[in-house]
Amino acid sequence: MNFKKATWMVLIAVAMWAMPTIASAQEVMWGGFVEGLWGAGLDDKNPTSRDYPVAETRLQLRLESYGDRAEVFGRLDFVQDGFDSANYDVQLREAYIKFRMESANMDFKIGRQILTWGTGDLIFINDVFAKDYQSFLIGRQDQYLKAPQTAVRVEWYNPLGSFTIVGIPDFEPNVTPTGERLSFFNPNSGTIVGADGYMAPVEPANKFENSEIAFKYSKMIKGFNFSGYAYKGFYKNPIGFDPNTSTVFYPELNVYGASLRGQVMGGILWMEGGYFDSREDRDGTNFFIENSSMKGLVGFERQVGTDLTANLQFQYEQMVDYDKYETSHTQMADYAVMMGMPTPAKADETRTLVTSRWTKQLYAQTLTLSLFGFYSPSDEDAYVRFSAEYKYSDELSLMAGGNIFDGNYAYTQWGQFSYNDNLYIKINYGF
Amino acid sequence: MKKFTLSILIFALMAVFAKSAWAQESAEEIMQKSHMAYYYAGDDGMTEVTMKIVNSKGRERLREFSMLRLDVEEGGTQKYYTYFKKPSDVSRLTFMVWKNPDANDDRWLYVPSVDLVKRLSADDKNSSFVGSDFSYEDVSGRHWTEDTHTLVSDKETLNGHDAYLISSKPKAGGDYFVEKKTWVDKKTYLPLKEEYYDKDGKVFRRFTADKIEDIDGITTITQRTMENVDKGQHTTIIFDSIDYNVGITDDIFTERYLKNPPRKFIK
Repeated sequence: MNFKKATWMVLIAVAMWAMPTIASAQEVMWGGFVEGLWGAGLDDKNPTSRDYPVAETRLQLRLESYGDRAEVFGRLDFVQDGFDSANYDVQLREAYIKFRMESANMDFKIGRQILTWGTGDLIFINDVFAKDYQSFLIGRQDQYLKAPQTAVRVEWYNPLGSFTIVGIPDFEPNVTPTGERLSFFNPNSGTIVGADGYMAPVEPANKFENSEIAFKYSKMIKGFNFSGYAYKGFYKNPIGFDPNTSTVFYPELNVYGASLRGQVMGGILWMEGGYFDSREDRDGTNFFIENSSMKGLVGFERQVGTDLTANLQFQYEQMVDYDKYETSHTQMADYAVMMGMPTPAKADETRTLVTSRWTKQLYAQTLTLSLFGFYSPSDEDAYVRFSAEYKYSDELSLMAGGNIFDGNYAYTQWGQFSYNDNLYIKINYGF
Repeated sequence: MKKFTLSILIFALMAVFAKSAWAQESAEEIMQKSHMAYYYAGDDGMTEVTMKIVNSKGRERLREFSMLRLDVEEGGTQKYYTYFKKPSDVSRLTFMVWKNPDANDDRWLYVPSVDLVKRLSADDKNSSFVGSDFSYEDVSGRHWTEDTHTLVSDKETLNGHDAYLISSKPKAGGDYFVEKKTWVDKKTYLPLKEEYYDKDGKVFRRFTADKIEDIDGITTITQRTMENVDKGQHTTIIFDSIDYNVGITDDIFTERYLKNPPRKFIK
């Protein structure tokens, strides 16, 4: 019996054990939405294989039932891809059972679920859970930034604070551009590429030692929330390269961090820091695997007018063992010249990022205008996302928005998306 | 002897003043009692709410939610928990407020579709509650000490209720109204009607208690309307059910229950 099968057996056994507690459930509630989304790229030179980043119809169904102590919840998406009318996709976004062991003060959530923690607004340090950056960059709803994972979450509450442990038996990577809808930078060719420049990453083997484990401790003190975090798993972006097999992969990663959040001067202040321990390149000498790094962010949000909220965040990252990175980079560069290959881009020791979100609501909160900007002074790149959403009725809403990227270098986080500027419209009917 | 007479005289005078003060409640006392009757009924409360937002064209939007309230301290700190059911785009969303009379409230929002706990800034108490004509302050209560109160009349009647008419003016400048007139029921101290005046002396906002019922011995406004006179729109809040003293405990108002709604209370 392989590890994956064993995991499922355990999950089913637990679900069956918990079943009697939801037997008292009164009814099954259901709801969902139908949505049409059409996006258009603004740059003819984009090397993507599709002309439009997105054209799709989505039906989401929600089912829910609960008793006093337990509940089951499911969310299933049916997506019809406008590029290929025969292409229907069924995505299980959530399917979990949640129950409580009152005597032990423990809450369990088992199954396919979305997981989030940490304090940053759209920037993440200790939130190591899977994200779908492709959805995020082409105009799908904000909820699609978080990708589901099959996991067991146990929360234990006691006077010392709350302890959460999440076990993810099967590694779940981030969804990153593949060149089909969005172009990206390929470090091997040193250029921005489309689907022909995409290399499918190799995922960690499905075995017990490769389970992801995430831990959080949290405590409220005088209105401030203090948290500590630890994670053992992998980088969620395929940033490792194995020159022997010419494959990209997800290097092993541990993260240790802390955060605090509370009310200050009529607004909310948050701070978070973390140490990224790059386990496969601890001494920092392997050019093809990211060095360990330290990351920190601070943010502040407050209402600045009627139905107008603004925030500002600052993030700082520093590479550990930069001197060793420089040495390995020089060797690589010399080698590349010798072999007639493109010289690899050299990363800076530090990276800075400033973000700001502005949200204005008008006409009894039926119209929401939103602007979110990322700007990195060190990378000299920027990303702006904006949208206007009008709720015609409780059921029907219309939205238009866009994603604009700019950068001075092809290899930076936002600079690599320079060809991907896009605008989109969306119509959504909820039921 | 003279001294003794004088003492008696002073004592008698004090008694007379005291008696008249006793008989005639001050406007401040009335507003305090009104605040307590309206916002602190029972020790806790569990309410099923339907909210109808009607715009100037008569178009209606509906919100349905469950609300839990706990009085941590009578007249002081309160905690609120709201679980949204409708419309679809906010269903299963939870919202928590710790109302601190002497400081900014603490507010949390939980968005289940992304498993996100968000702290909200609570600087502007006058912003609209979920797009309705009720503000956050209307929902959790404006403390009576923020205004100076004057008794205009104690001989008012409104829909068959004997009422006091109180005029309230904000102590601090720059508030969103210049004067508020409140009709307070003499028997239950519930506010029957409120009118908010702007600097031109015009009514721009009007509250009415539309339906008053006896719930387990506690007189309760089970339907209320806030009208935005300028915009010609209004919002009606209907209590589909309300239960008092159901044993809601302090631990409900924590992140644990924000993420895992207490199904014992949330129907």
